[in-house]
Amino acid sequence: MRFFDPHIHMISRTTDDYEAMSKAGIRAVIEPAFWIGQPRTTVGSFVDYFSQILGWERFRASQFGIAHYSAIGMNSKEANNEPLARDVIALLERFVLKEGVVAVGEIGYDEISAAEERAYIAQLRLAVKHDMVVMVHSPHRDKKRGILRSMEVASECGQPMSKLVIDHNNEETVKDVLDAGAWAAFTIYPHTKMGSERMVEIVKKYGPERIIVDSSADWGLSDPLSVPKTAALMLERGVTREWVERVTWHNALEAYAQSGQIDVAALEGSLAIDQRAVFGENSVLRGQAPRVDLDELAK
Amino acid sequence: MTTLQCLLGLLDRRVPAERRAWLDSARAEIGRGIEDERFCVLFSLASRFAPRAPLAPDAAERARAAQALAGWNPERWSILDAFRAVLVLSRSDLSTPSAARAIEELFRYADMGELCAAYKLLALVPQAERFVWRAGEGARSSMKAVYESACCDTPFPARYFDDIAWRQALIKALFVEAPLWRVWNVDARLDEELARMALDLADERRSAGRPVNPETWMCLGTHGGARAQSSIERELVHGPARGRAGAALALARAGRRDKLLSASAVESDPFVKQVMGSALDGAHDSVAFHALDQSTSGVC
Repeated sequence: MRFFDPHIHMISRTTDDYEAMSKAGIRAVIEPAFWIGQPRTTVGSFVDYFSQILGWERFRASQFGIAHYSAIGMNSKEANNEPLARDVIALLERFVLKEGVVAVGEIGYDEISAAEERAYIAQLRLAVKHDMVVMVHSPHRDKKRGILRSMEVASECGQPMSKLVIDHNNEETVKDVLDAGAWAAFTIYPHTKMGSERMVEIVKKYGPERIIVDSSADWGLSDPLSVPKTAALMLERGVTREWVERVTWHNALEAYAQSGQIDVAALEGSLAIDQRAVFGENSVLRGQAPRVDLDELAK
Repeated sequence: MTTLQCLLGLLDRRVPAERRAWLDSARAEIGRGIEDERFCVLFSLASRFAPRAPLAPDAAERARAAQALAGWNPERWSILDAFRAVLVLSRSDLSTPSAARAIEELFRYADMGELCAAYKLLALVPQAERFVWRAGEGARSSMKAVYESACCDTPFPARYFDDIAWRQALIKALFVEAPLWRVWNVDARLDEELARMALDLADERRSAGRPVNPETWMCLGTHGGARAQSSIERELVHGPARGRAGAALALARAGRRDKLLSASAVESDPFVKQVMGSALDGAHDSVAFHALDQSTSGVC
């Protein structure tokens, strides 16, 4: 099977992860801009971070036959440093129109503070101006209220619900998101957020409509194979293959292809890996024999 | 014909009217003078309006490009690259510091496609020597597409790089396995130091039990003395087919026709023999290494 992990922070992952992801059938990922575990202090750090996501990281992913898209935005945690957040938001337009940027994100609330809301609204306006999809990070603390508020504010700003993805849902929030007409994404983490078993039950209960599974793997304890592992468990527990494909491939593709930045035909076709064509031995390959095609392994 | 006229001519035959209308309106906006931020946004937005296809100029079009700017070959440009070059060349202040600053902004905020386009167009900008540091950044890239945009099919390195940057750029091509024969005017800037670097690299590869990139032999020319000749002869005896062909070209370039004749007499591989024959007939400039290009020759 093939998988789309529409939320993963690959700059924190190793080439071993890329290799394992490729073998497991992950063919496309979205890397949303987020914080890096600690607060940044200057706007230049964000310029380089966005550039890294759009440049070197996309190149790295391509070596493993993985299409790498991104979401660009000022995250909610660092939005609380308002002078910095204003500078970052002022230059976002330079990045959100790049090729392969499929959304403004991940944005939203962390502590549900006034500063976070100002940053969120400014970025929703940018998304509305360019008719973009928005990827919303929902808070760990006071999650349900955060999600309801993020949908309400998005709606007030004129963002269509069909172009709003609410991430990190759980059993308590999924119904509100689906009822509002937005996409409901679920992050499968080994210990916090959702586990694969709970995800199976949610799909059984709500069906596959507008439900998306992702890993949100980053620099913390997380699993870049969450999506294929959850798919395997769903199949084992009797969810139909068609439903599994929808929540681990088609839905994410449909939601984010609304950006016009995904060549769906190319992605649906075979992605050839050719490390020989693009690799310098001083970059990622460091002397091992280049791999030419992993397509067989990915089947 | 200017490079801008040349590009517009290429696009005339390849771009439908409604997409061309966007380009013309963006050009007009740029020509009137715009803020750097808006300039960067238009450079990005070009990806939404340019047809997704290679530019694929024919031989006559490539010849016109080389006439407009010696060393410029848009053979591997995309239509999007051409859109972006046209946008930059449509500035009315190209010779001024404000244009240099705006072009530097393009690089600072570029994604990979933009980066490649920006490096490709750099030699087309008047007083391109202003961007020599920036082009050096491209030559240091380990992303092959970026390296090739900065160094291949453009006169930029040969015309503007200092000796250190020039030699590093050539050796870097061997590392990233970019086609060195596409670096313009290599033969005009060969020297003893480059030959030494190439011979050191060949020794390093052999010590590691790895093959020598056959384009390494391009870097010798008439330089390197007895060490060069012994390294070439070793490749002629022990090297794979492409290596032997590259060594044969190196013999011809060093003026050692006698040695090449005797090597040709004992060569059994038809591909190598053919390269040797052409070299004896005078085809041994840097572009002759094209014959060794794996992507076109099919020889291992």
